[in-house]
Amino acid sequence: MSFGLLLPAGLLALFALAIPLLLHLTRRTEQQPTVFAALRWLQASQRPRRKVRFDEWLLLVVRLLLLAVLALLLARPVLHGTDDARAWVVVAPEIGRAAARASFDAPDADWRWLAPGFPVLDADAPAAVQPTSSLLREVDASLGANTALTVLVPRHLGGLDGERPALRRKVDWHIVDMETPPAAAAPRAPTVLAMRFGDADAPALRYLRAAAAAWQAVGVTGGPGRVQVTVAQSTEALGPGTAWLVWLVPGALPPEIRDWIAGGGTALLGASTDSAEAAAGTALWRDASGDVLVRGRALGRGRAMQLTREFTPAALPQLLDADFPDRLRALFEAPAAPDRAFAEAHAPRQGGPTLPSVPRPLQPWLAALVAVLFVAERWLATSARRGPSS
Amino acid sequence: MTAGFQGFVSPALRARLRDLRLVARRPAVSPGFGTHHSRSRGTGLEFSQYRSYEQGDDPRLIDWKLHARSDRFFVREAERDSPLEAWLVIDATASMTQADAARPGWSRLEAAKVVAACVIELALRQGDRFGIVTSGGDGVAPVPAAAGPRQRDRCLLQLHRLHAAGRWPVAAGLRSMGELIGPGALVLMLSDFFDPAAVELAEKLAAARREVLTLQILTVEERDFSFRGGHRFTDPETGDELLTDAGSARAGFIERFAAARRALAARLASQGVRHVEYFLDEPPDAPLRLLFGSGSRAGNPPAGA
Repeated sequence: MSFGLLLPAGLLALFALAIPLLLHLTRRTEQQPTVFAALRWLQASQRPRRKVRFDEWLLLVVRLLLLAVLALLLARPVLHGTDDARAWVVVAPEIGRAAARASFDAPDADWRWLAPGFPVLDADAPAAVQPTSSLLREVDASLGANTALTVLVPRHLGGLDGERPALRRKVDWHIVDMETPPAAAAPRAPTVLAMRFGDADAPALRYLRAAAAAWQAVGVTGGPGRVQVTVAQSTEALGPGTAWLVWLVPGALPPEIRDWIAGGGTALLGASTDSAEAAAGTALWRDASGDVLVRGRALGRGRAMQLTREFTPAALPQLLDADFPDRLRALFEAPAAPDRAFAEAHAPRQGGPTLPSVPRPLQPWLAALVAVLFVAERWLATSARRGPSS
Repeated sequence: MTAGFQGFVSPALRARLRDLRLVARRPAVSPGFGTHHSRSRGTGLEFSQYRSYEQGDDPRLIDWKLHARSDRFFVREAERDSPLEAWLVIDATASMTQADAARPGWSRLEAAKVVAACVIELALRQGDRFGIVTSGGDGVAPVPAAAGPRQRDRCLLQLHRLHAAGRWPVAAGLRSMGELIGPGALVLMLSDFFDPAAVELAEKLAAARREVLTLQILTVEERDFSFRGGHRFTDPETGDELLTDAGSARAGFIERFAAARRALAARLASQGVRHVEYFLDEPPDAPLRLLFGSGSRAGNPPAGA
């Protein structure tokens, strides 16, 4: 346990200690005249002694202490190495309180949920799906270096990211043998994909329709959400709830379509459409030889993408590939990253970054001390016993 | 019991005043009825003597039956109890503002007001006439002598208004005091008697057949000189300043001041003035007990004289 200051320059405030010292110099009371009518019987021969002396010692000491503690408070003192020796047991919310208590015996430990803020186990159970990997790194970073950590996880662990967490401590990775089905995704309303075409591009529609039909077949098995396709001439306005748009109309992009994109829509423009924004975007889809097929960029709150080639099999052979529906869908909607794994395979590694332990701030205690000293100072300064110094 | 009177005299103090009586060593001469023996003769309850009529006597006093028997005019005289006339002369110079550091509100003047209120209470109880003269930087302000509760209220109002400032007024302002205070009156002077003019006034009044009592009001600091360290002492009246070390000045001051007090007491005693010292840490009835209490050295008035 060691003491440190986060802002040592705050100690410059110690110069303020001179103020009460000056206030309490006895010279000051000498300067205040004392009314004394019997002056003629007093002899002037003796001069006052030239010696530094102070009035009201107790009050002076309290005032000096008050200022010193205030200066220390400004310097932001901390205590290092006051790690809580109590072990932590962190429970994934899917397990539940009763199962966690039954499967691991550590009554003295500090039981917490693996949830943001790490509420104690007696608190209400948080939601089942949590960003598990992130929380593991957080609990490792916020605990003292010597605190033992036990994590209770179900057999199938959700909420993971791409990497096995690398933690600085050895974690007791305790797998509770229970089946936890993946949380069922909430049923979503089908996404509306509108296709608008000019006469020249009408043949391309069959490829798009085929891709949409492929999506519907996948949608039955419960993968990504369903997509509802509406196909119309370019003159027809977009229906309400339209989220995606394929715009195969030559010429300039109409302002109302542009406003719709900026308002949050995602649009794939044909190669013959004039749109400076989309053409200047980054490459989103390249073919096997590295040539860019689709560029795109954000436009307002939405996204605009543009094909670089004609929507024909001759110009765009990928139309005939088997993975064209997936490719097309990926343009509109990034596929969800896998976030579930066997807990056994996802045990945290040791050897994470060595973070400095978080020192314990002393400011609340000092603030309480300041309050006590202030009350004492006021009490001493205003008490009835106090009179002009004699 | 008016509220103003309670401001000066607390109930406890009033209770301690119960056995005190304002008495004069000399018999009173002023007309009226009261509890004091009188040397003057006139109408009254207790027959004293006949004397022959003289020019200027009230014709109503002539005993006509005796005139019928003797064909001469006789005046019937009776001894009567006459009231005392009590005067309070209060010093209101700037030196009276001095108070002890231990008790800042209790200045010499406040003590003088309380003592004066006690004397007024005693005089009112006895049916005596009483009046107040204050003397300070604002001049001489008298409340002419009278008796009764309204006179008490007038005097207390005057005391309430009283503020100490300035120096003792010049002799011209005090000359009227001799005219105001009749012969034989009891005069109680409340002052610190640091000003020689105040002592001279007491001597003059005593020489002019007024019965003068002096109460010297002194602070505790003047008695004990309880200062420590360097201090700048100022005289409130002259404005003189003196920077000195209190510890080394203490012994000399106490010695000289005690000698000065003894000299003052001897000087006043030689003029027949009863002199009492009062320190601010004593109860306000203590000096009155010395002056008027039973068995006090002031003694009881000789009957008849």
